[in-house]
Order: sequence, then C-alpha cells, then structure tokens
Amino acid sequence: MLATLLRHDWRSLSADASIWVVIGVFAAAIGYGTINGARWVAFQQDAISEARAEERERLERHETAIVRINRENATISAFADPRNPDAVGRSLGARYVVLPPTPLAPLAVGQSDLLPSYFKITTDARETVLAATEIENPHRLLTGRFDLAFVLIYLYPLLILALTYNLLSSEKEQGTLVLALSQPISLRTLVAAKVLLRFTVFLAAVVGLALLASLIIGVDLGAPGVLPRLAFWAAAVAGYGLFWFAAAVAVSALGKPSATNAMVLAGVWLALVVLVPSLLSMAATAIYPVPSRVEMIQATRVASDEANAEGSKLLAQYYEDHPELVTGDAQQAMNDFNLVRVAVAAEVERRVRPVLDRYSQQLTAQQQIVARARFLSPAILMQDALNDIAGTGAARHRAFVQQVEQYHERWRAHFVRLIFEKARLEDYSGLPRFAFEDEETGAVSRRVAGSLAGVAVPTVLLAVFAFVRLRRYPLVG
Amino acid sequence: MMFTIARKEVVETLRDGRFRALAILVLALSAASFAAGWRHYSDVQRQHLEAQEATRTQWLNQPAKNPHSAAHYGMYAFKPKSRLSLVDSGIDPYVGVAAWLEAHRQNEFRYRPAQDRTAIQRFGELTAAEAFLVVLPLFIVLASFTAFAGEREQGTLRQLLSLGVATRDLVAGKALGVAAALGLVIVPATIIGVAALAATTEFGGLRADVPRAAWLAVMYLIYFATIVAISLAVSAWARSPRTALVILLAFWFANSLIVTRAAADLAAWLHPTPSAIEFQTAMERELSNQEEMRVRLDRRREELMRRYNVSSMDAVPINFSGISLQEGEERANEVFDRHYGGLFERYESQNRAFQWAGLAAPMLPVRSLSMALAGTDFAHHREFVTAAEEYRRGIQRVMNDDIARNSKPGAAYTAGAALWAEVPEFRYELPGVSWAMRQAAPSVGLLLAWCVAACWLAARATRRLGVV
Repeated sequence: MLATLLRHDWRSLSADASIWVVIGVFAAAIGYGTINGARWVAFQQDAISEARAEERERLERHETAIVRINRENATISAFADPRNPDAVGRSLGARYVVLPPTPLAPLAVGQSDLLPSYFKITTDARETVLAATEIENPHRLLTGRFDLAFVLIYLYPLLILALTYNLLSSEKEQGTLVLALSQPISLRTLVAAKVLLRFTVFLAAVVGLALLASLIIGVDLGAPGVLPRLAFWAAAVAGYGLFWFAAAVAVSALGKPSATNAMVLAGVWLALVVLVPSLLSMAATAIYPVPSRVEMIQATRVASDEANAEGSKLLAQYYEDHPELVTGDAQQAMNDFNLVRVAVAAEVERRVRPVLDRYSQQLTAQQQIVARARFLSPAILMQDALNDIAGTGAARHRAFVQQVEQYHERWRAHFVRLIFEKARLEDYSGLPRFAFEDEETGAVSRRVAGSLAGVAVPTVLLAVFAFVRLRRYPLVG
Repeated sequence: MMFTIARKEVVETLRDGRFRALAILVLALSAASFAAGWRHYSDVQRQHLEAQEATRTQWLNQPAKNPHSAAHYGMYAFKPKSRLSLVDSGIDPYVGVAAWLEAHRQNEFRYRPAQDRTAIQRFGELTAAEAFLVVLPLFIVLASFTAFAGEREQGTLRQLLSLGVATRDLVAGKALGVAAALGLVIVPATIIGVAALAATTEFGGLRADVPRAAWLAVMYLIYFATIVAISLAVSAWARSPRTALVILLAFWFANSLIVTRAAADLAAWLHPTPSAIEFQTAMERELSNQEEMRVRLDRRREELMRRYNVSSMDAVPINFSGISLQEGEERANEVFDRHYGGLFERYESQNRAFQWAGLAAPMLPVRSLSMALAGTDFAHHREFVTAAEEYRRGIQRVMNDDIARNSKPGAAYTAGAALWAEVPEFRYELPGVSWAMRQAAPSVGLLLAWCVAACWLAARATRRLGVV
C-alpha cells in the first residue's frame, strides 16, 4: 500500500514545477555555500603558512646573525641583539601558535571568522598577546557568511515548509483528499507516505549535494575522525529536517486552509530561527553584561604606572617570591633594567587579574544561560552541532586559548629564567614549542549528541501531537 | 470612496486575531530592543567618556621626562558611541573600541565587543533596525497579501468593481488601509524610540541627532511603502491568495536574509583583503627599510644647513634628534597611509559592491542607509580612526618640535606639565547628516528606484484587475 502511495505521490509531486524549483535553489545554495566555506579555509591556511614562513625566515636570520656577531665580536644594541634573551622573548624569537582548521572546516565557518586562529607568542602580557585578531571587513562579520551551515539552518527548513505546508490542505481544497481516503487507507498512512517521500527527496538532495561539493573542494575523507563526524553531520541534517517536517505536519493536522498554514509556519520559522536566538542573545547580555574593554585598558594603565613607580622595590619582592631565581649579587641586580621590568610586569598582572577575571566570569555566565536556553530553538542546537562537527565552534576555540595561555606561561618562565641567569642564546633550538592537542572525537561526539537529542525531543512531541490530532482531521468544510 | 475602502481594510485587519498578535509582537520587540539599546548605549558611552577623561588626566599628570618618553607613553583613543546606535548598532560590535596612540606606530583598534559574546549573537542582534528591516515587512506581507487575491477568491472583487468603484480609488484605499494598520504599530514604536533617545540627554543635547533621526524615519517609511506596493502588486497579479502568500514569503526571505549574505560573500570575492599576517609583514618590511631613512635624514641635514646658512651640523641651532624623530614619523605615516589606506579602500570597495547588490533586494540600501544615519557604518568608523590617527600625529609633532627646539645634543633633557598641556584634548564630533547622506548616496538612489518601480508595478498590476 505504502509503495503505491509513494509512487503516486511522487508522480504528482514531480509533475509540479515547485519541487524542481526547490531542488534547484537548494543545489545552487549548497554549492555556493560549500565553495564559500572552502575559500575561507584556504584563506586561513594561507595565513597560517605565511605566519610559519615569516617565523622560519626570522629565526634563521637571527641565528645567522648570532654566528656573525660572535665571529666578528661585533657590538650591537641590546634591543636588537639576537643573543639577548629579553629581546628574543619579546620580539626577535616570537613564535606563532596555530589552531589548524579541521578537514571538515569548510562545512561551517562558525566563529572562525571572528575568533583568531593564530597568535604571536611573546613575553608581553597575556592580554596583549591574545588581543590580536584577523583583519576582516566588519561589515562582513556583521552580515555573516553564506556557508553551508547558513543554508542548512535557514534555507533548508524553509524549503521543507514550502513543500509541506499544504500537505493535506491542498488535497482537501482540490477535493482529492476524500477521494483518496475512499480507498482502504488511513489518513495517517497517507501523511506518513507523503512525509516519507519528501523527507527522502530532501535528505538525498542535501547529503548527496553536500558530499559531492565536499569532494569537489577536496575534503580528505581518509583523515582520522572525518567519517564519524560526517555521520554525525548527516544525522544532524536528518534530525533538523525531521523537526521541520514534524512541525509542518502538526500544523497541517489542525485542519486549517493552506494560506493559514503558510502564515503559521512562516511565523514559527521566524520565531525559532530569528527571534528566539536574538532575544536569547539580548537577554544574556542584559543579565550578564560584559563591560567595555576600555575598563581593562584603564586598569592596566593605572597598575603599570603605579608598578613602574615602585620599580626596584618590586624586584626585591619578586626575589622573595622566587628565591630560586637569585643568582649572584641580588643587590646589584636591583639596578638591572631587564630584571626590574620582569618584576613590574608580574606585579601589573597581579593587580589587573581581578578586572580580567570579571570579563571571563561574565562571559562564562552568559554561556551558561545560553547553554541551558538553547533548547528553546532547534536552530541554535543545529548551529552548535554544525560548528562542533566542523571544529569552528566556541568550545574548540576555548580549548585552544587555554593551551595557548599555558604555552605563554611556559614561554615567559623560560625567558625569565634566562634573563635572571644572564644567559646568552647561541641558537634557538631550545625555544619552547607549541603543538595543539585537538579535542578527542569522543568529546565532540558527546556534545553533538546532546544537541541532536535536543532537536529530537520536540520532534517526537510534535509527531505525537500530529498523530493524535490527525484522527480528528476535518475532511470536509 | 477611497477612505471607505481604507476604513473597511483597517477594521478587517484589526478584527483579525493573528494580526493583533503580530502587532503586539512587533511592538514588544521594538520596545525591548530600544530598552536594551538604551541601556547598552548609556553604559558604554559612560565608560568610554570616563576612560577618555582618565587617559587625558594620565597624560597631563606625567612626571617630568623626555618628550619622546611621553610620546611612547602615549594616550588611548576610545571610540564614542553614536546616540542613534541604540536604533541600529551596525558594525559597532565588530570593530575594536580602543587604540593606543603611541610613538612610531599606527595601532589597530582592538577589542571587538563581539568577541566577548556567545556564538548565538551571529544569528543577528535584535535592534530596532532589525525589527524594522526584517519583522515589519513580514507583517506588511501578511496584512496585505489577501488585498486583491482574497477578494477575488471570495468573489467580492467582481461585486466591488460592478459598483463602479474606480480602480485607482480601490488601490489607493487598499494601500491606505495597510498603511493605517501599519501606523498603529509604527507610531507607538517611534514614540518608544524617541523616549529612549530622550533618556540619553545626560550625554549632551539631542539637537545634533534630530536631522539624522528624521532622515532615518523618512528612509524607513520609503522602505515600508515599497514593501506595501510590492505586496499589493503581487496580490493583484496572483490567481489565489495562497500563491500571493507563497510568492511574497519567498520574496521576504530572499530580501531579508539571502541577498545580504550572498552579496557580502560575492563582494569579498571581487575585492579580496589580505590576512592580518600578510598585512603586517608587508608593512613591517617597508618600515624597516633603513636605507631610505638614511637618505631622507641626509636630505634634512642639508636643508637645515642651507636654511641656517652654515656648513656644519654642529652650527645648526636646533637639536637634530628631534628632527630625526619627526622624519621617522613622517616616513612611517606615509607607509601607514598607504597600507591602512589601501586596506580601508578594499573594505570600501567591498561595501560599494555590496550596496549595488541592492538592485536585487530593497532591504540592502535601507540597511546601508540606516547604519550610515545611525553613525555605525564603516565610513563613520573610518572617519573616527582617521581622526584618532591625526591626533596621534599631532602629539608626535608637538613632542618632537620641543626636542628639536629646547634640548641640547648629548645632554639629558626633560620637559614637564606645560608641554603635556600643549597637546590639545582629543575631541571627536560625529560628522553632519549631509556627510552621512553623501557617503550613502547610491543607496538613496537605489531605494528611491525600488520605491518608484514597486509603485509602477502596483499601478500596472491593478490597472486591469481580473475578477476571476
């Protein structure tokens, strides 16, 4: 029976121009979105190799200079001396740390256009090091990218709704519904057949087109973790699609005319995809506003003015806290510019820390609100899932920044020790190195599974509602 | 007759529960966004004004030191918020709020507020502008798609025309009816908006913002008129209300979401920008060119000797280190102008290309205009960045001139509070409304063209109203 229904429904569906328009629009959007994602990843990779090349070239240049200076016994100002650990740690030997794009990064630009994927590590204060950003037209950041995630979160549900808002109402309006039900089938079977057909068409179109597009742009399917992530991606697309099918069927089950269905569904779409996320964002920032960064700048400035004024007194204090660094004559060291500066910088950070903590506390509080309230909108859950799968979400970036902070600590400790030991660098082989430890696939999977469950629950509820309501569907009138 | 029709439309709309719910929703949204915008504006503006004052005080209270040390200590420029940013925050969340004005370097504006937000912000900020640009057009579409198509389906259109109602009156009446219903939402929303603006007088009088706000209102009204005309045209043309609705919803979606994003990416494709590292490396390379600097300094030495008519630099009555520092600044400024200027030009080209995509969607020109009039578009940001950079260069000139005039080579030299006070306070005024309109001139043209085209379309579609 179902097979017959499917066959007939497909015949009438494919005879209608609208499905081909929908698929055409969809294919074009998926293609454009995937290419945009790929272009962005290529841009990031270019920037990363540019950074690596700059670093390699600079380190080689200074290492060659060390050899020359030693050979010629040349005099050179301390700031430019490639053997001076202070100068090396502060600028000459600076190293880049990189958050590499994952193989699936082209699928969702996510936050990667806003949050920088590389930093230049120096002995400067952490906040100075982390303040660097990628340059980008702010107007484009505001608008957002036309990537595959955008197509899936915004356009995909609308196209589903375009093919399902009159699932029953059009048959009713044309008078064919009663005719069809005069056959030995139930209304529920009929609806199930219609949904199944449309869902299959959509899923085949989106997964097929996206995979094709990914292969064309050269996603490496053999790379570790890619296949499970792709499976999750397909599950997310299917789950999100099913939610919108369930919503459309639930609205159809109310038995209203096509135009009313269209209005209600457009309203639901607007509410879930546009209004709830932006209201939530507004609420989170209103409840836990993050103060403007100018406060931080001013606090840092005041602290460094005060600390600079105390100068060598702070160094004495610093020696008390770090007795392991005392070498030679501590009294004489009090006049050493570099040593005083290390102590002053440590003091500034100590004083500014509470101000900085407030920023991260507020942001964390915002994130907690959003993490709880995101279940209000499948669109937010879908965004989370897609960003997690593509590795362009906030969670992976947070992990990156945490590792960078630790590396920055190591970097500084390394150079402070050298400065206090009055060491001279003969080459740069001993500079601390950074390697990003990516999240485990398991952690990503758990997060994505959580998001998908959040989409599944309302889907089931809507489906049950529709199932029950269809029994009372008014076939006429 | 026209007014009778309009009254009937309004009464009918008001009786519709869906419409009432939607009207309340739009009002509530704009009230919430104005309230949030007002609070955000007040907080940030206060923080920035205080910080601007504090940075000035720190500058003035510097102890006696060498002027060049003072130049290195520098000042901060904090970006003030425009008052109308509470209507349209534009690119504000995506540009840095502060730049360090120090010797030798033009620093970027750092700390984009968006980086201190969660990822859902990328769904869009709920500003009043967003409510007007995206939600209100949907409201218009839903209020007007049945205008002709519905009457046609019910058979009342035939009746109506048989009464001898002039088509012109019918169309005008329908349009007026939608406009009146719309007014019931817009007028209270505007009153809330004006109240929110009035609540910010602690930051100075409103007079300067009145022309901007007035033009903003005019531009939005033209936009709404365009949407009404398009909706009526489609309603007159479509065979059934369902078709009219589906076409209009598709238009609404393309207009408010698809075209913006597609156009922004296309613009970036046409005018690619460099990465930060590429930009910095290229600039650094030019800045570190010592040879050019040596040539320039030699030229300055010769000029000085010629001017003072002496044959040796020792006999020149000013300290060359001040001249040399200033020459370094001048040369670096040329590099900055070339690189930052080039980058900003790229952005402007992208934004221009984006503006022209307004041919495909009437929302684009309004969006550009809205940001321009609110003072939150890129042109305004660039204007402020340029002003801050000019100010930085001014500080350098004052400090280096003092070194050249008052210090002696080889001797330690310090200046005091009198010199610090010679640097004027940094004041920035938002450019006038005519400047803003000039920047967005193509958008004004495009918006008017859309409005005219939409009205023409409506007139044409209704000239021969098919009754079945």
